[in-house]
Amino acid sequence: MLPDGSLRADHVWKRFRAEKAPRTAKGRLDVWSRRLTTSRGSTRSYRWALRDITFDIEPGEAVGLVGRNGSGKSTLLKMLCRVMYQYAGTVDVHGRIGALIEVRAGIHPELTGRENVQLYGSLLGLSRKDVLSRFDDIIDFAEIPEAVDRQVKFYSSGMQMRLGFAVAAFLEPDILLIDEVLAVGDASFQQKCLDRMRHVLSQGTTVVFVSHDLAAVESTCQRVMWLEQGVLKLDGESREVVNSYRGAVEQMAAVDFAGDTEIRLTKAEVDGAGGTAPATDESLEVRLQLESNSTRKGLLLIGISEGPASPIILVSNQVAFNGGATHDIRCEIERLPLPGGRYYLWVGAFHRNQDLLPWHPVASFEVFGPRLDRAPSAIVRLGPISLKTNWDGI
Amino acid sequence: MSDGAYPTVAVADAPPPEIVFKRRIEFLRSIRELWASKELVGTLTERNLRSRYKQTFLGFAWSLITPVTLMVVFTVFLRRVAKIDTGGIPYPIFSYVGLLPWSFFSGAVSSSSGVILSNNSLLNKIYCPREVFLISTITSSAVDTACAMFALLVLFIVNWYAPTAGIVWVPLLTFVLILFTLGVCLMISALTVYLRDLRYGVSIILQLGLFATPVAYSLSSVVPKNLQPAYAAVNPLGPVIQGYRDAVLLGHRPAFGLLGIATVSSCIWVVAGYLVFKRLETGFADVA
Repeated sequence: MLPDGSLRADHVWKRFRAEKAPRTAKGRLDVWSRRLTTSRGSTRSYRWALRDITFDIEPGEAVGLVGRNGSGKSTLLKMLCRVMYQYAGTVDVHGRIGALIEVRAGIHPELTGRENVQLYGSLLGLSRKDVLSRFDDIIDFAEIPEAVDRQVKFYSSGMQMRLGFAVAAFLEPDILLIDEVLAVGDASFQQKCLDRMRHVLSQGTTVVFVSHDLAAVESTCQRVMWLEQGVLKLDGESREVVNSYRGAVEQMAAVDFAGDTEIRLTKAEVDGAGGTAPATDESLEVRLQLESNSTRKGLLLIGISEGPASPIILVSNQVAFNGGATHDIRCEIERLPLPGGRYYLWVGAFHRNQDLLPWHPVASFEVFGPRLDRAPSAIVRLGPISLKTNWDGI
Repeated sequence: MSDGAYPTVAVADAPPPEIVFKRRIEFLRSIRELWASKELVGTLTERNLRSRYKQTFLGFAWSLITPVTLMVVFTVFLRRVAKIDTGGIPYPIFSYVGLLPWSFFSGAVSSSSGVILSNNSLLNKIYCPREVFLISTITSSAVDTACAMFALLVLFIVNWYAPTAGIVWVPLLTFVLILFTLGVCLMISALTVYLRDLRYGVSIILQLGLFATPVAYSLSSVVPKNLQPAYAAVNPLGPVIQGYRDAVLLGHRPAFGLLGIATVSSCIWVVAGYLVFKRLETGFADVA
């Protein structure tokens, strides 16, 4: 018997029907008749949503789940909260689950806020008394004291989301599953949620956190699992997995980029000071070779990111392109404020609203230098910047 | 940019057949789980009733209005057209005593046909024994019927007619009624998820059922004696409704032979319905 709060998946497979026959008598009859006339099994096509997933989550662990859209993250969560059943393998879940799979999970629009808290509580298996004892905390956290007795359908989506999160987090489940829901709240509420998650974690609740906000995942979870097309691609220490995932995102962006544009990039190189490897607090040189079809002006953008399209550093300059000519452009960043790690160079060129060269990744490079101090969990560092600091009185 | 940095995991195309998940129906465990969520049934019932009557002017009076309207229609029109032998009971009471169990049954069955789909948003996100949704529609219907009983009280007073001591048989009859309702609801609610046509089919069958069941007339006056056992097996509501009348209004014992057949038939419905429900349950979240 596993202790409360542990999750275990052992060679889990899940598939969905690929053919979406309408669920009517006619649709069914069509399918059945086709099945009778053709050889058995050939008409049924399935799509694997998850393939051979195996992992073990200990009580009190905080695990992030990252992956592209459609990689199976939500399906996996649904199986963990026993809403869906696997096709093969075993899923073992011990303890009471608080799930937040969607913004309005379990929130019934016709009922008031008060009734919803009660309903959600009973769904989690709490008695009325247990729910009542936490009721004030929930309402305070959700910041809806004046709206408690109003029907939830008259709430703003932010209020609904806050209520949903508050109920799930305050009813003290053994396991908390959170699926990309914090994006709805405003900045201060997001911080509140992350604080609450830290508190919940400190009480030994297991948290599984699905998000595209990699910084938030990295800051709340010690461990991250990366799903790629239904397969568990990487499972390990969060910084490591998130960085690999970022790299893959960048590679996909590069693949998506098609070459036929107004301005073409023929070469992109990154070097440190005097041709050495790039290093923290040293100079960084970016050399680009560009060709233009026509003579025109354009704004050249150079960015450095950890993978995704949002750069940490963005510099730009107006460039006068000559039609048919090759431009060798050199940009020197005098002091690179980035800590050690792997980074990606993104380039784009624009003229007013016209894309001369779409924003896309062109190269990756390693920066040598000190790593950043680890932030306490649930404090999200937006971008890694390395600064020289002087402290007094410590 | 090289691809070698990330380990590629080799995964087979399909799972080995020996690990394919087979759902075992663990009856005792399900029952224990269901018992543990009895408070949830209460909350869901409350939610059903509240959300149904919220923003309606008459509120709970609606649970009375449907059977009373039918009773009036039966009394005013049907009695004129057909000679109905009530055995000396005032017709409004006669038909209303039949209408109460009927409205319980039809209320539960018609809302159970959509219950899994309409609770989709909960079913898809939070785990609880799925039966609770179904049971809560039955209990909601029971509450509605209890409200509707108020009109029966008024009818007794207006007609100055008193229920007899046969009222002691009511719990037994109600038990059979609930058993049959549960069986039908289990079956309908699970099948409707996969076969949405049923929803409309059910409403037609219920409309016909009102006339195929001795609600407006007595069982003995329409169904010949030798066909009554077969009738009881197909429609256990017949002997049950007849039993209510015999017991409450006439002070007779219910016809135990027919009631026995009805009970056996109801049990078969429950077992079959439960098996179908449990079998289909695993796919609810995929399909709904």
